[in-house]
Amino acid sequence: MTEKKKRLSSGEERKRHRLMDVKRPNFLEEIFPYELPPLIRLDGRVTENIDGKEVEFDFGAVKDRDILISDTTFRDGQQARPPYTVEQMEHIYDLMSRLGGPNGVIRQSEFFLYTKKDREALDRCRALGHKYPECTGWIRAFKGDFRLVKEAGLKETGILTSCSDYHIFQKLRFGSRKECMDSYCEVVDAAFEAGVRPRCHLEDLTRADIDGFVLPFIDKLMEMSEQVPEEQSVKIRLCDTMGFGLSYPGAELPRSVPKLIYKLNRECGVPSERLEWHGHNDFHKVHINGATAWLYGCGVVNTTLFGFGERTGNPPLEGAIFEYIALKGELCGIDTLAVTELANYMRRIGLPIPDNYPFAGRAFNTTRAGIHADGLRQDEQIYNIFDTTKLLGRPPRVAITDKSGADGVTHWINEFFGLKGEERISKIKIHKLARWVIDQYEEEGRLTAISDEELEAKVKELLPEYWEKYKGVKGK
Amino acid sequence: MATVEERIKAVTARVLKVPVEQIKNEHSFAVDLGAESVQSVELVAMFEEEFGIEMDEMGALSVETVGKAVEYITEVCKEQGVEVEE
Repeated sequence: MTEKKKRLSSGEERKRHRLMDVKRPNFLEEIFPYELPPLIRLDGRVTENIDGKEVEFDFGAVKDRDILISDTTFRDGQQARPPYTVEQMEHIYDLMSRLGGPNGVIRQSEFFLYTKKDREALDRCRALGHKYPECTGWIRAFKGDFRLVKEAGLKETGILTSCSDYHIFQKLRFGSRKECMDSYCEVVDAAFEAGVRPRCHLEDLTRADIDGFVLPFIDKLMEMSEQVPEEQSVKIRLCDTMGFGLSYPGAELPRSVPKLIYKLNRECGVPSERLEWHGHNDFHKVHINGATAWLYGCGVVNTTLFGFGERTGNPPLEGAIFEYIALKGELCGIDTLAVTELANYMRRIGLPIPDNYPFAGRAFNTTRAGIHADGLRQDEQIYNIFDTTKLLGRPPRVAITDKSGADGVTHWINEFFGLKGEERISKIKIHKLARWVIDQYEEEGRLTAISDEELEAKVKELLPEYWEKYKGVKGK
Repeated sequence: MATVEERIKAVTARVLKVPVEQIKNEHSFAVDLGAESVQSVELVAMFEEEFGIEMDEMGALSVETVGKAVEYITEVCKEQGVEVEE
């Protein structure tokens, strides 16, 4: 008997899917290896329609292509908060170097050069002797400012070359685009003369006239770069100053990240390693836009620690780190434990990191629902994104509320005593503590979560035999 | 000496705060006697204390009715050498 084919409302034939019954689970470990972040596996070519033609991109090539992270914690990051002290910058830079590892995955970090304190911080960081991140400068587009770069002994500096008409006409008050472009080119010439590599920051790129100003400017910069040694040739930072960038195929210029990268990389010929994406988070797209830039051919994503930056912030450095590992499929010398050290340090010096902030918030891997706690208790991989103990020094936790149930309390207590496997205490044995928790809400009318300190005191009181056994002192 | 069934019903009455005479063997702890999640754990803990036994957490918590609890605990008592009145 032939099965009657069903058609969907779209007219397509409905595809039937057969159950693959198995007795052993398939945890898809080739994608979710647990000891690493979930891998980003890319296959096949991706096409984008640009100027009426299908253009191909090979995302899979990113595994073998050089992609890097750069940092602007001390420049854009510092624009969003009271200034760091010199000592703080030195310590953060030191940890950042450890995070990026000996291969220089965090390749560069940029510094202001205007005040004595700026220059002292730069000197102190360089005195640490780390190869990476390399220190670069950031100056305005004034020829005289190259003196600062030269005096600081830096090989590269960012310079503002804003490119939307908002900036050209309304902010910088140029009379025409040509006047603006000539002025920028004079500054680039001054950089070459000073022996400094200029990194042109195309401010407000995602609101600029790409064909009418940006591409002719890039053409000119490429011509100028041909006159100097390769190591001095102009780098381009694509600045999504207002966070207008869009990652998905089909979006139009000037907002399309794929098309912007394509135009600069494959039409103007700027090599990938000289292209850097700098985003802002005004529309919650900051991380994915950076990752998209990598995939479409941009070599570097510019970031700040914990995303701190002007207004809504920049691509979070630690987010880019985990994206990098997921794309490459290996740690590449990165020391992810430094993320936790950096987060702890930032909190100590007053930088607020929300509790639910990925990878670094106090509660990023804390579950509250009892049913999730039950899953964690049976197998932490059920509700933990990866081995957060190994990669971040942060075991998965449960927060105790009215929703935690006996499972949540059991998970908490086993984590508290650091018990694994067969050693773990059964929930039957902790029923007094579970009852106390429930009564806090049902009898006492409590509305807040129970702190670790409160629970610790109650463990001592209600479960003295365990306290004595695992803490080595008598309870009560 | 009270039987296993009588002792189980007495513990159940005390933990769930229901009159002992209303507890039937076919009653489900959760559905008929209203045991909530934590109370189920408390029941198992109290049964262990009453009989001086150790029960497997998963096995004990999967017992649904009073009558099944009588069977399960009688078996555990036998395994662990605890004398009880059947």
